[in-house]
Amino acid sequence: MRLTEHPILNFQERRGKKVTIYFEGQPIEAYEGETIVMALHAAGIRVLAHTFQKDRPRGLFCAIGKCASCLMTVNGIPNVRTCITLVEDGMQITKQKAKPKLPTTAKPPKWKDPEKIDADIVIIGGGPAGLMAAIYASDAGAKVALLDENPMLGGQLVKQTHKFFGKREQFAGVRGVKIADILEEEVKKRENIKVFLETSAIALLQEDDTKLVVGVRKNKELVEFRGKAVIVATGAMERMIPFENNDLPGIYGAGAIQTLMNTYGVKPGDRVLIIGAGNVGLILAYQLIQAGVEVKAIVEALPKIGGYFVHAAKVRRLGVPILTRHTILRAEGKEKVERAIVAQIDENWKPIPGTEKVFEVDVIALAVGLRPSIELLHQVGCQIKYAPELGGHVVIRDKRLETTIKGIFVAGDSAGIEEATTAMLEGKIAGIAAALSAGIASPEWLKEIEKAQKELDEFRSGPFGRKVLKGLEKVVVE
Amino acid sequence: MSEVTIIGGGITGVALAYELAKRGYEVTVLERRFIGSGSTFRCGTGIRQQFGDEANIQVMKRSVELWKKYSEDFGFPFTQSGYLFLLYSEEEIEDFKNNIKLQNKFGVPTRLITPEEAKEIVPLLNIEDVLAASWNPTDGKADPFKATMAFAREAKELGAKIYEYTEVKDIVVENGEIKGVKTNKGFFSTGTVVNATNAWAKLINAMAEVPITIPIEPYKHQAIITQPMKSGQINPMVISFKHRDAYLTQTAHGGIVGGVGLEEHGYDLTPTYEFLKEVTKQFIQIIPALKDLRILRVWAGFYAKTPDSNPAIGRINEIDEYYIVAGFSGHGFMMAPVVAEGVADLITKGKTNLPFWWYDPYRFERGELRSKAIQMG
Repeated sequence: MRLTEHPILNFQERRGKKVTIYFEGQPIEAYEGETIVMALHAAGIRVLAHTFQKDRPRGLFCAIGKCASCLMTVNGIPNVRTCITLVEDGMQITKQKAKPKLPTTAKPPKWKDPEKIDADIVIIGGGPAGLMAAIYASDAGAKVALLDENPMLGGQLVKQTHKFFGKREQFAGVRGVKIADILEEEVKKRENIKVFLETSAIALLQEDDTKLVVGVRKNKELVEFRGKAVIVATGAMERMIPFENNDLPGIYGAGAIQTLMNTYGVKPGDRVLIIGAGNVGLILAYQLIQAGVEVKAIVEALPKIGGYFVHAAKVRRLGVPILTRHTILRAEGKEKVERAIVAQIDENWKPIPGTEKVFEVDVIALAVGLRPSIELLHQVGCQIKYAPELGGHVVIRDKRLETTIKGIFVAGDSAGIEEATTAMLEGKIAGIAAALSAGIASPEWLKEIEKAQKELDEFRSGPFGRKVLKGLEKVVVE
Repeated sequence: MSEVTIIGGGITGVALAYELAKRGYEVTVLERRFIGSGSTFRCGTGIRQQFGDEANIQVMKRSVELWKKYSEDFGFPFTQSGYLFLLYSEEEIEDFKNNIKLQNKFGVPTRLITPEEAKEIVPLLNIEDVLAASWNPTDGKADPFKATMAFAREAKELGAKIYEYTEVKDIVVENGEIKGVKTNKGFFSTGTVVNATNAWAKLINAMAEVPITIPIEPYKHQAIITQPMKSGQINPMVISFKHRDAYLTQTAHGGIVGGVGLEEHGYDLTPTYEFLKEVTKQFIQIIPALKDLRILRVWAGFYAKTPDSNPAIGRINEIDEYYIVAGFSGHGFMMAPVVAEGVADLITKGKTNLPFWWYDPYRFERGELRSKAIQMG
């Protein structure tokens, strides 16, 4: 089902031309500009595949190309990430139930030499960190190539309908979706930034002093990006927690639900149970209610709510119970979620028998944290350290976000899980620092770095910054 | 005190430990990292008898018999799914006709087949420019992880000692007699040392001050594996010299494993973009449908090459008792069972019935290079 009315967003305006795609041979209505899985979900299709070994149904999970839950066969090509692949009129989409069998009649394709893009700075990821990095690197005089595997810029900002906190220059009082628009406008204004969407970075390599980012555009074209410096701003990936049937379709990462309803205007379901009362879980509850979806409860294993008080109060006012010291025991349902069983836990985190509650829901949202996407940094050989305060393994870097490999920078959630506001500040620092390291920016830009560093320190000085600071102590070196 | 100390815990070292332990010897294996970590676990999994000289054909015929026996006895996967050499020129066909004649003489049932017959064996093949193929259904492949661990397990069962993360620092030789081996984990006293370190053989030879020249040099060779596809689509090892010495086959899990010949001298193991591009370019010519499969991983391992691509196997007469078993030039995995059997006989009986004279380590010094062993990847 598609959303038609929304207090903040206008989907009618955004939807492109109507097209027809085919799922298992059946025609389905879709709109240009939306990804395959969104169109399928709007048509009520939740089951995207069956696992090869145990024939278990698979549905959407992350919706931003980070997991393997939505792989389908598209126009005969197996294992396509349908969450980041745009619909095209006449597309044939089928579920995968077994490892693919390849056609015996295929003709050898002509080898096309890869397109070559030369820039001063190559930025991987067009979220808040990557966009800010691009803007400041460009202003400092650098020629920038910015790539993102999603079909739009903005990263996770494009689904944030809430207003931001902080200072005015950090976009306080502005909704995330609006911030994405503003930053995209700024990027477009700058002629020395070239944007490549639907382009995955598959390798980060060093060729003497040059960095090479190997990109694949639209699943098929090889593009080589070369630069004097690279900024990795690849964001994060949603975490999963163990419980019985946690793979049932209808169990989504919180971000996937936001992508469904806030980015593409697709109703994620009718009745939702949210696991996790951090800021993401709380904001999600509010956004679901805005979209006309019933939120049955928020379940939190800790004895107290993790998110901001204002968010929790708002959700409570709307009548959503927040069950602290509770956990999910299992999901039930045949092909997709039909209900969830929740229980209270004791001080040893063990479920207390007799406290089970049943929630009749068709969606279970997991808002249980994120882990940084460090794959490219790991692959190129940057030093990695485990810092649970930052969400897991992150790279060692200095105060200007340069990693242990000269000319390779990191910013945003891929540097450690934090917020969009800090991601933007880190993006600014990394963008300028990369331009300095490439020998392009003039030394006056150092002042801008110091300014952003000061703002970061201020933002992290509150009680919520304590954990992050503890993590940073482990990984930031002189 | 160990009677025999084997340096190197690749498949050659652990299989030899098994053979010696079986013959009642006290054996110790010293491995710098973990079992198989050097080159074995990085190999292309293929096992073939299609060589172009009498010695290698006979040796590999025995190796295949042993692969079959040990896979059954120890319970690891080995399949005789064949080797298919795609031939694209009359010249290549002539060469292979001669090889086939030689292989048939020793009972290896290779035959020349038509492109259409090749396509029946591997329906995904592009046979457009293929003129013929050399096909031996008794060649095969094995799982390097399970095979190596099985040999290590069986060796230990028979009393062999395997020390991992134990790096050899020096070999103590007094008056031409081996006294022991110094490692980062202490001194191992022993009377016999076997150098089974393949790519690192020259470093160990230098420690023992081996007085003859045995040219074994490390070359980086890379390989890839793709996303899995339905099993049974590429059963044999498919070889094409026309496509930069490409080899490829399907693993039990379903992924396509393989590589092309793009080597680099030295001890670096960093995978390269150049290889990734080249392997993609070549593989889709041989099997066009692979264009739609993603490559999951690329990695590198060493070919320990000698000037004639044949290993150096034998006793070094000047040092009592020192054996060299290295320089396999990309064939170490497939040869391991027969090498282990032959070298165990050399150590315990002073001779083997196998034509190991072909691998004489003194041949380089004497300038008696062999005809080059057929090699790909």
